[in-house]
Amino acid sequence: MDSIRQALAEIVGEEQVSTHPEELYIYSFDLGTTEPHRPDYAVAPRTTEEVQGIVKLANKEKIPVVPLGGGLSLAGLAVPFKGGIALDLKRMDSIIEVNEEARYAVVECGVSQAQMCSYLERYHPTLTHSEPGAPGTATIGGNIAIHGQGDLAQPYGFNSDMVNGLEVVLPTGEVCRFGSCAIGASWFTLHPLPDLGLFLGWGGTTGIITKISLRLFPCKKIRGVGLFVVEDEELVPEVMYKLTHTQMAEDIIAFSQAIPPFTSGLQHFTINLAADSEKELEFKQEIIWDDALGEYIRSGAGGFLGFSRGLDRPVVSKTSDWRKGGGFEYVGSIMPIEKYPECYRRGREISERHGIPYTVLGRCIGIAHAMMFSWTYAFNRADPETVKQARGALHETDDLVLELGGTIWKPGLYGQKLVVDRLDPNTLNLMKKVKQLLDPNGIMNPGNWEVSR
Amino acid sequence: MDIIACIKRVPDTSEADAIKIDSSQRDIEKSGLAFKINDWDEYALEAAVQIKEKLGGTLTAVTVGSQEWNDILRRALAMGADTGIRIDHDVASEDPHIVALILKTVIQRLPYDLVLFGAQSEDFGSGQLGAMVAEMLGIPHATLAVSLEARENKVHISRELEAGTLESYTIELPALLTIHTGINQPRYISLGGIKRAMRKELQVMSPNDLGLSVDMLIPMVKLERLELPSKGKGAELITGAPEEAAEQMAKTLKEAGIF
Amino acid sequence: MNLADYKYADIIHRCFRCGYCKFPVNWMDANNCPAYARFRMETYSCGGRLWLTRAWLSGEIDWSDHLAEILYSCTACKNCEVKCPLGFSVDILNMIIAAKAEMVESGRILSSVKEFLENIQRQGNPYGHSRVKRGEWLEGTGIEPYQGHDFLYYVGCVGSYDARAQEVARALGKVLQKAGVSFGVLGNDENCDGNEVNKLGEETLFEMLAEENVAQFKRLGIQKVVTLSPHSYNAMKNDYPRFNRGFDVMHYTQLLESLLSDGRLDVSGGFDAAVTYHDPCFLGRWNDEYEAARNVLAAIPGIQLIEMERNRDSTLCCGGGGGNFYIDLLGGSERSPARIRVREAHATKARILAVACPNCLTMLEDAVKAEGLEEELVVRDVSEIVAEACGIT
Repeated sequence: MDSIRQALAEIVGEEQVSTHPEELYIYSFDLGTTEPHRPDYAVAPRTTEEVQGIVKLANKEKIPVVPLGGGLSLAGLAVPFKGGIALDLKRMDSIIEVNEEARYAVVECGVSQAQMCSYLERYHPTLTHSEPGAPGTATIGGNIAIHGQGDLAQPYGFNSDMVNGLEVVLPTGEVCRFGSCAIGASWFTLHPLPDLGLFLGWGGTTGIITKISLRLFPCKKIRGVGLFVVEDEELVPEVMYKLTHTQMAEDIIAFSQAIPPFTSGLQHFTINLAADSEKELEFKQEIIWDDALGEYIRSGAGGFLGFSRGLDRPVVSKTSDWRKGGGFEYVGSIMPIEKYPECYRRGREISERHGIPYTVLGRCIGIAHAMMFSWTYAFNRADPETVKQARGALHETDDLVLELGGTIWKPGLYGQKLVVDRLDPNTLNLMKKVKQLLDPNGIMNPGNWEVSR
Repeated sequence: MDIIACIKRVPDTSEADAIKIDSSQRDIEKSGLAFKINDWDEYALEAAVQIKEKLGGTLTAVTVGSQEWNDILRRALAMGADTGIRIDHDVASEDPHIVALILKTVIQRLPYDLVLFGAQSEDFGSGQLGAMVAEMLGIPHATLAVSLEARENKVHISRELEAGTLESYTIELPALLTIHTGINQPRYISLGGIKRAMRKELQVMSPNDLGLSVDMLIPMVKLERLELPSKGKGAELITGAPEEAAEQMAKTLKEAGIF
Repeated sequence: MNLADYKYADIIHRCFRCGYCKFPVNWMDANNCPAYARFRMETYSCGGRLWLTRAWLSGEIDWSDHLAEILYSCTACKNCEVKCPLGFSVDILNMIIAAKAEMVESGRILSSVKEFLENIQRQGNPYGHSRVKRGEWLEGTGIEPYQGHDFLYYVGCVGSYDARAQEVARALGKVLQKAGVSFGVLGNDENCDGNEVNKLGEETLFEMLAEENVAQFKRLGIQKVVTLSPHSYNAMKNDYPRFNRGFDVMHYTQLLESLLSDGRLDVSGGFDAAVTYHDPCFLGRWNDEYEAARNVLAAIPGIQLIEMERNRDSTLCCGGGGGNFYIDLLGGSERSPARIRVREAHATKARILAVACPNCLTMLEDAVKAEGLEEELVVRDVSEIVAEACGIT
């Protein structure tokens, strides 16, 4: 162990390696309900070269490497299940380039969402990125690696669809680039070069993303949120369909929660609008409230609760303190929007059975091509019984997702198994081959997505 | 294990120019000085408390001094001593033999397995007290202990010699040790700790109470005079660019016969 | 150690480690916690510190020097408390200080912290310099010992003993003299205000200092105090009331602000330079005072005031709080918050980095040297700038 620590210190410097119990303790945790597992080393590199050095050493010594961004997957995706090196990538936080004309930014993997928001607001106010609403310490790298979605999901899709290029350190230590950057051109396009389907959605088990070229989108002068509500959950899919057809809105989210009690049983919509002028804003509002949603408002099936200017970016989340308990975890799923009513009803039932006030949310992805539907279960970290209840509810919900015909977004160990068990055998076989090819020694985030079994 | 730790109150002399000789020329000017437990004694106390925490038993802190010396006993009690004993006697005469006699008389009346002293004091630094008391008590002793491990009836210690050499001993108890700095990290004594320690017992006795009359306390060594050393020529500052300074330095050392 | 005995046992688990606490109010950097900026390991963030405290007190991890270092690397800059969006955030620093207090009571703290506290116990200042030297900075200033004057000019330990800070203590004294303010000082009779002692968790020592100061000021009939240091200001304003503080206290920038607006100070001599102002934590985030110093600087002809990216409540702590100007847990690296701050100041193209706190002064000036920027950036206290503009040499 000692010689490995020494070798790591030679790569990143003495201060960026730790085998102290304190660091090992902290880096063993996911913030959700996943049980902690202690790494053997906590390491924080600064450059791609340092990451390469670490990965090569890990390969030689057969030590697991667990890449970590903001650590907010809440699915245990950065828990060192087999010990090894907890690799804290947040020091790789430079915004390398913002290209205004081609609307992209090249960033290191550890750039935080909040840093991205504030940097663009300050220095490139006509550009914005799709901000996921997780606490601002979530990283760009981590978010695209798990196919995250943000406040531009409608109409632009997953955050991982907004990638023009990647730089990745393979588990065997080589550095690869994908997209136009791979042929020495600027980082402006991914297609038509060989793509990066090998590194997104794999839970950090096939390599370490070190640089990203992220597509940016127009940021208009006026941004705000319109609030709409319906009582009948069966209406939600058609409302989403109609809204998306207008092509006038940005982020569209439907949500329902038990607290505060007067919201319980209702389905609220937040509809983000952006405009460069009052004329544009008024026009868009007319199309949405008068034309698309007018019938519901006039018949009383739905209510317009007003439009407020200004968007909280980054979003500040207080979910963890709902039960004054310092913790929550959620099942995220990618579902067909038509399943919203059932997701809501079944989710509510599971929550209530586990004594947890229900919280569900559906975020429209693409032009209603799908939604990210989540069921959130808060727990009290000081009360193990509530953690147990939350875990039970989470597992039941994982089962529910597949039963209803969706798929689990960024599943933890329990959900991973459900997905793998259902995977097309040829696909699974190919995944095994890919994993074996890229990571012959099985060092990259072992425990997660164990397809090589 | 029953431990006795002997401690001394000394002035804080971290600033060299704080010390002035008083009008008697046999003592220093005390006003304007702050006082504390002798550094070496603090390490001894910490060692004693650690043994007590590990093996149980009692710890008694003993000092010989005037009333202001109660404060160091309070600190010892705050650190973990059970009882503090002060023999009320002005030790300005500083003949270690007299202090040793008084301490030996107190110690003899108490149950003890181990007696600890600091290796020397910060002010007079004679380093004699521990060895004297051990001889008077007729028990084995070792000085300058830099490590200490206590068992039920023996201690393992190592002593520091020159050039970093260590010699190790196992000593049967009862025994006396003088403790060197660096043997441990003495714990911090908070003001809250001192306040709480006010509840613990602090006994004061006079030498008479011990059966020691004035004519038994005649010093064998008499302090004639205290004086400050005369100021030397002062330092020579060599300035200039590194190459010039190095040349000048080499020349100075050569002229001084250093090489 | 027992979690049940810990004062905040019922809320310490509520930290989610979401990490908002790492950011400044304006989100411009994920490293506004000075200890986290220095070490970049999760343990050094506020959330890390809270989780480790809980783990230590419930016996999951043992006390160690490293744990003590992590805890004492907190400078009490209040960034985390201001940024945390959750309901218990108002007690975040209280929780960390209570954890430090647990360590203090157990006696197991860093040796540098032990020295700091013992020096104050013994000599009334953390440096351990003799009490009888506390008033040496007064020599030649003609400043009077307090005897019924309008104001007590309370200097504090850093201003009294640190050579560079003494220059500022004198500069401010001369400015007040020039403005004809009636003030006196305590000289050798001045004792530590206890702010850092409080933030280091030595509660009983702080109580003793506060009680003694309050009693002394009462004896002398002191009604109004103006402090050199925001640390003194903070302790006297916010913590002394529970010891029956019978006087009003202001920070010197507030007094200078009112002297200027009353026309009692002639700054027409001007100060020709581009200046950037560093908000001290104990004046800014702790006491919401961001404008007094700025108004003073704005009143001086020739000053071009440039703001750093992280200004006002987004300020990056210089790393000197929580006793760290002495125990120095955040030094020794180009990632030391003081050096990061100096680089930020330098990037504004200002030539003068203005401070209003003797701790910030010493931390940032050392950092300028460490950065090799002495030719390009000079650290000056606001009072020194005012003194120059008043024609005081």
